[in-house]
Amino acid sequence: MRIQKHDPNDAAPVRFAQDARERIESRRRFILGAAAGTALVALGGYYVLTDSSLTNAARAQVRPDGRPRLPPGQRVIERLRAMGGQEGDPAPRNFTLSISGAVEAPFSIDFRGLMALPGVREQASDVHCVTAWSVLGARFTGVSVAELAARAKVKPTAHHVVFEAAHGYTANVRIDHALAPNTMVVWDLDGQPLGRAHGAPVRALVPDLYFWKSAKWLTGIRFVEKDEPGYWEIRGYNNHADPWKEERYS
Amino acid sequence: MSVGKNLDASPVTPAAPGTSPQKRALPWRRWLRAVHRDVGYLAIGLTLVYAVSGIAVNHIATWDPSFEQFTRTITVAPATLTGDDRAIAQEALAQLAIEQVPSDVYRASDTRLDITLADSTVHVNPQVGTIAEEGQRARPILRSINWLHLNRGKQAWTLFSDVFAGGLVFLALSGLFMLRGRQGVLGWRGLYVVAGAAVPIGYLIASGGP
Repeated sequence: MRIQKHDPNDAAPVRFAQDARERIESRRRFILGAAAGTALVALGGYYVLTDSSLTNAARAQVRPDGRPRLPPGQRVIERLRAMGGQEGDPAPRNFTLSISGAVEAPFSIDFRGLMALPGVREQASDVHCVTAWSVLGARFTGVSVAELAARAKVKPTAHHVVFEAAHGYTANVRIDHALAPNTMVVWDLDGQPLGRAHGAPVRALVPDLYFWKSAKWLTGIRFVEKDEPGYWEIRGYNNHADPWKEERYS
Repeated sequence: MSVGKNLDASPVTPAAPGTSPQKRALPWRRWLRAVHRDVGYLAIGLTLVYAVSGIAVNHIATWDPSFEQFTRTITVAPATLTGDDRAIAQEALAQLAIEQVPSDVYRASDTRLDITLADSTVHVNPQVGTIAEEGQRARPILRSINWLHLNRGKQAWTLFSDVFAGGLVFLALSGLFMLRGRQGVLGWRGLYVVAGAAVPIGYLIASGGP
């Protein structure tokens, strides 16, 4: 029997060792990849399940006005999403809110003046985005539009309100929605100053209509006699925007 | 010669005596193909803009396609946030290791001092010692193409995108006549056209429409 000696010039053992190492590395990569994939799926599943459990819980609830808490076609998420828009000037020093139009006493108010108004309060509101997400019980701090309207002495001929915002954005609502007790001008969200992406320093809040009506980077509230469809309304979105009637598009 | 590879799809027939095959070919189809090709080249850039930003904006309910938001909050001993507003702002920025010069420092109330920076705002509550920075950064390419797609520029861009839309209509219709006879839409390729049209029609029917 011949004993096969290892020839130092023979590359086979080296190749074998390399193959083995590659197999081990490949197995490690597979295990790491599988673990990462599993974690990702689990995380995604967690969010889906969390959202789904929030949605199911909300579907079982009824508002004081008898409507279901969650409008049809909506799912609940935990935090407000920014949803874009062209950012206005975020500096509160440069903020001025003008109340104008069909009013007897138009006025402008700065940020400090707004915060010092009587009737400033925190309000928990559900908000419903036209893209089908809803956030329940978001806590906003601000003052009601009705309070501002009372100071401006709105004329009885005013039937609609136009929320005016940075870069010419507008959103129109019927006056009954604008003067509803839960329609506000707000500057804090969940106990923190409103973020830039959410319309800082001040945005409108019309919780009973789809959220695009709640203009971000608010600059003015104009009371008008005739309706003036706003930025999204002239681009195919519904003029009224009632989430419970799923009035998403025209 | 392989007829199957002749995309011009002119039937290969012997030329009549005294005439050349080029003279018998329909010149309008050749023109159509040339214009289709060149309009296609022109449309590449904007098609990518609209397609990529279309995907980005379609999913706006789950992410912000144009901006990336960021927040951070620290709490310090309220005693470190003393002095006038400028001094408090300076200390708050130092605590966050921000070297930027603020564009504004504004005292909104006893519990709120706002420091405005280029891409973020720092909110300081000197009474409890919280320093919170929040802001958003533009996504480099996406923000620009979304801006174009959503027609934030108005006027001139409206005209330009109308022309582009007209170009796409031309590309779609001229594409129908690129190949002749059964090699084109009169043959099995016509099924592609039917399938493409069936998707929106089927969706309208299935979803109940507007």
